[in-house]
Amino acid sequence: MKPHNNAAWALLLPAACVMIFVAVLPLLAVLNYSFHDIFSLNKVFWVGTDWYAMIVSTPRFWFSLGRSALFSTLALTIQLPLGIAIALMLRKIGPRGASLMLMCLAIPLVVPTNMIAGLWLALIRPEGLGGQALSAFHLTLDYKFNPLHTWALILLVDTWHWLGLVVVLAYAGLSSIQPAYYQAAAVDSASRWGVFRWIELPQISGALWIVLLLRLVDSFMIYTEVMTINAGGPNDATTFLSLELGEDIKAYSYGTAAARAMVDFVFVLTLVWVFVKLRQTGDPEGAQPQ
Amino acid sequence: MNHAGVLRLVACIVLASFVLLPLGQAIVLSFTATLEADGVPMGSVGFHNYLNILRTPELRASVGNSVTYVLLNVAFCLIAGLPAAYGLARYSFIGDRHFLMFLLAFRVTPPVVLSLPIFILFARAGLVNSPIGIALVHCVFNLPIAIWILESFIAAIPRSFDEMAFLDGHSRTGFFVRFLIPAIAPGIAVAAFFCFIFSWVEVVFARILTVTAGKPITQAITALFTFRTDWGLVMAMTVFSLIPGVLMIFLVRNQIARGFVIRT
Repeated sequence: MKPHNNAAWALLLPAACVMIFVAVLPLLAVLNYSFHDIFSLNKVFWVGTDWYAMIVSTPRFWFSLGRSALFSTLALTIQLPLGIAIALMLRKIGPRGASLMLMCLAIPLVVPTNMIAGLWLALIRPEGLGGQALSAFHLTLDYKFNPLHTWALILLVDTWHWLGLVVVLAYAGLSSIQPAYYQAAAVDSASRWGVFRWIELPQISGALWIVLLLRLVDSFMIYTEVMTINAGGPNDATTFLSLELGEDIKAYSYGTAAARAMVDFVFVLTLVWVFVKLRQTGDPEGAQPQ
Repeated sequence: MNHAGVLRLVACIVLASFVLLPLGQAIVLSFTATLEADGVPMGSVGFHNYLNILRTPELRASVGNSVTYVLLNVAFCLIAGLPAAYGLARYSFIGDRHFLMFLLAFRVTPPVVLSLPIFILFARAGLVNSPIGIALVHCVFNLPIAIWILESFIAAIPRSFDEMAFLDGHSRTGFFVRFLIPAIAPGIAVAAFFCFIFSWVEVVFARILTVTAGKPITQAITALFTFRTDWGLVMAMTVFSLIPGVLMIFLVRNQIARGFVIRT
């Protein structure tokens, strides 16, 4: 047990001050703006909860929310099983090959976020390698005007960007399983599925919770890639929550933008809260991951 | 090699091509002339796009700007993060779990939610167009990461290590500088790498805080998109911007998972 000492807060003071200045104060400012109509910094009127009432009464907001939820669902349904399957496969190919593959898969994680979509657009333009391959097979990717194609491209780009994260964390979880578990399973002649379901999955659940939270929040609030690919089009087909917020900010509607930002923050906070609660019930030891 | 082995090899090749294809395309384009200029004919292959980076003052300046605020951010995160990580690793106190929860909430808050007030607040504080402003605001997500990584390294050292130093009469500051920092040097390196890279790739805050000056690499690349985009130059700059990240992946290849760990 760690000794109890409230004086330890003194050690947290510098970090707490930085976080208050760059995170808490801005958040309080958003909260304050969201109750005001702001024409300029000198002309500010109290409007109460009018902005919130306006947001929840516009069908566009609910459609954006639905699209964001659908996008998160699709992204997680593709990326989590695929990433776990790849991690399981990498466990079989030996540490050197696995290390090489993990490094390769991690590269998209360090690409500047505004260039992720740019790299793919360069690939699929008619002169690009991908564009030429598509036309060789007489396929067209009309991501500017066909909503299905836009969705497919965004999902593809998002999967390219984040698949490595799922694989890296799932692989780290799998590597920490003691060989004794596998030996016990072999003695009981457990099936491959049985080994996965009763040994591997519980052992990597800590790592998977983290992937789930990070991917859930990031896909729910995806902005830069969608903005670059088609700016929410065609016809709002890819207008997600964050893009609506971005539109308000660009139009200098500070009041609505602030109310929208608060709504989005509440969504994120709810996800975090559910995550922490589930972690604590799932792991009574105090949810201390590796 | 048996059947399963062949299948795995094929799967690895398909996967690697999927990941490397857009990067390969970017590298090819970065060595190709895509606009007729300076007497270099279209389609010719060479280093001219990279030479153009050196010749364009805005691009040169953007590299300096990015490096400046990223290094400042790493410094802020380590200086503020180290004592906090030590406190969390060694003591329990009122609100410790809430503090971790608070860090988690802001670690995952999307920048676009905070961007508007950050701009107004930082404009009043005179921190717009300044590398200090971006370095500070990137602490929103990097300080939690630094604290979590450092905490896990400090927690791995037995407490008797601290007590020995205090028994020898060292002050807390002396203990930090002479004992703790050398003992967790690998952890500090890992934390610094992740702060570096997450700050390097972030665009929303970096864009909103650079109105007229101090533009980072990411903004310089966006500015290259015009009605006649020179794809070769765009890709040369993009490939250039990937160098620190790829280098980091190689250096922390066995620790990549740590950059995404969350403490609650």
